[in-house]
Amino acid sequence: MKHRVPRRRPFFLAFLLPSLLAAGLFLAALGDVLQYSFRTFIPGSLDVGGFTLENFLRIGRPIYLSVLLDTVTISVLTALFTLLLSYPVAYALVRARRDWVRTLLIILAITPLFTGEIVRTYAWILVLGSNGFVNSLLKDAGLITAPLSLLYTRFGVTVALVQFSMPVMIILLATAISHVDRNCERAAANLGAPPLMVFWRVTLPLTMPGVISGTIVIFAWTMSAFSTPQLIGGGKVLMISNLVYLQGLSTFNFPFAAVLSLLALLVAMGSLGLIRPAIRRLERRVALH
Amino acid sequence: MTRWRLTAFAAAALLAVAAVPARAQDKLVVDIWGGNWRDGANEAIAKEFTKRTGMPVEFITGGTIDRLTKAKINKGHPESDVTITTSHVGYLYFSDGLFEKLDMSKIPNAKDLFPVAIRSPYTIGLYSYVYTPAFRTDLMPKGYKITSWRDLWAPEVKGKLGLPDFDPSHIIIVSAILSGGSAANWKVGIPLLEKLKPNIKTFYQSDATSQDLMKSGETPVQVLLSINGFHQISQGIPITIAIPKEGAVVGIDAIGITQGTKHSAAAHEFINVALDAAVQAKLCDLYRCGPMNMHAKIDPALAKLPGVFTTPEQWKSEAIVVDDETRAKLLPVWKDWFTENMMH
Repeated sequence: MKHRVPRRRPFFLAFLLPSLLAAGLFLAALGDVLQYSFRTFIPGSLDVGGFTLENFLRIGRPIYLSVLLDTVTISVLTALFTLLLSYPVAYALVRARRDWVRTLLIILAITPLFTGEIVRTYAWILVLGSNGFVNSLLKDAGLITAPLSLLYTRFGVTVALVQFSMPVMIILLATAISHVDRNCERAAANLGAPPLMVFWRVTLPLTMPGVISGTIVIFAWTMSAFSTPQLIGGGKVLMISNLVYLQGLSTFNFPFAAVLSLLALLVAMGSLGLIRPAIRRLERRVALH
Repeated sequence: MTRWRLTAFAAAALLAVAAVPARAQDKLVVDIWGGNWRDGANEAIAKEFTKRTGMPVEFITGGTIDRLTKAKINKGHPESDVTITTSHVGYLYFSDGLFEKLDMSKIPNAKDLFPVAIRSPYTIGLYSYVYTPAFRTDLMPKGYKITSWRDLWAPEVKGKLGLPDFDPSHIIIVSAILSGGSAANWKVGIPLLEKLKPNIKTFYQSDATSQDLMKSGETPVQVLLSINGFHQISQGIPITIAIPKEGAVVGIDAIGITQGTKHSAAAHEFINVALDAAVQAKLCDLYRCGPMNMHAKIDPALAKLPGVFTTPEQWKSEAIVVDDETRAKLLPVWKDWFTENMMH
């Protein structure tokens, strides 16, 4: 009797086609952005002129390099602080013994996801404003006489972005922590390792995939952050997306907006490319452990 | 016989159904901003237009740029018959062939307008407002007042000023004027503009943000849209809106007929209705702005407000008007310069 050998990848084509379609659409849009980047901007018109390289030469001006540097710095800081603040929450979320503690942590950690970026950003304006929560608290405590400048600063933008990014990081880390085999930790403890050592030598290395993917995700999405720097930065702190908006939808300079978009894409991909060797080294170290 | 009747009934029903979309298409579509702008235009203009012509009006709404982009994409197959937008953005519409030339013989009310209302052969101003300095009386030192734009450079304003990021033209034009220049040779104002930097706290992105910043006291001094200021004053916020001795920078919202419309005659009539003296009075009462029809009988309380110009003398002494072509062509240059040198 003949047995029918199941195909190794039965749904491969069915799943591949939508991906190819999405990739095709993405490439078509990218191609359009690319052709715009080589066109001449005509002030007072929605049309673009002939081909030029001038748009690319313009990005060498200090303002654009400074915005680019700010974007990368804010993205790195946001990714790092989000990781540092989210890890303990994710750890407690997974390891809490009581159900109600877990439920409370889930509500506190995940609810902000449902409030939307604009609402959360406005909340930060109320917290960081001259007469906001922080300044009022410090003033009432007699620690300051004049309000601190918290809004329209890199600090304010980073704080708001960290809070905005935390729910996603918590979900990613909680998934990684929940996959850690508790027997490994018990074995380490049985061999005499104190709790901190167990965490440092066993738990943390085993959750490294979550740490790495979370950091990359937050870094990449902060690189394209728009609403938070727009509202909290108030034009004083610009990130690359804000510049694209100002050039494209405010100045109608679509060619230069296209150049800035491409630059943002290249910097994001380049940064991720630079991170890769470090990640590989880290993964090798974890594997050795 | 019964079958014959049934067939006749079905045919009549089909005809009736087919007639519905035909009638539904017979409406005038007006492209405008949403919210109060749409509501005001509906209340003051559309109702009167429908009363006079029997033709219903439908509004489609969106932001200035979204609507412009959409109009460009739909060129030749317009979604709307009439477009209301800022006059210098109107220049972009007609320079890209998105507006049709107006037949002034079909707009008899145009003869009663202030000369400034005739923006171009394609656009007519509907109403005016100003961008001008304003401040929170309770948050500035006692006795502080603004009599000249130069007062924005005063040490009392350090770290308190809010400016729009979407349109820096007002402060650029004024800096040029204060430096002995004009909008066309704006670069003479650059040294003065650069001296303003320490006084700027932030840049607002929309009318809503402007109001938030004023309400919270984050920027107790602003160059703001007069209409926003009046609205906040009506809510009890202590704001003084100044008209400096150099004048306030005028903004005019204009109306044009979309190229390719199938309702050109009705669109002309809509514009004529919008410029009628009584309709203008109603529109300005709703928007808290200045009329374009010099015979419009404006409520005296409204006419007293700063930046609501109702006489030729006011237009001469209190208004800084820049032509739409200069503004449309220089705005991108101004924004670039402003982004690169004043922001960040």
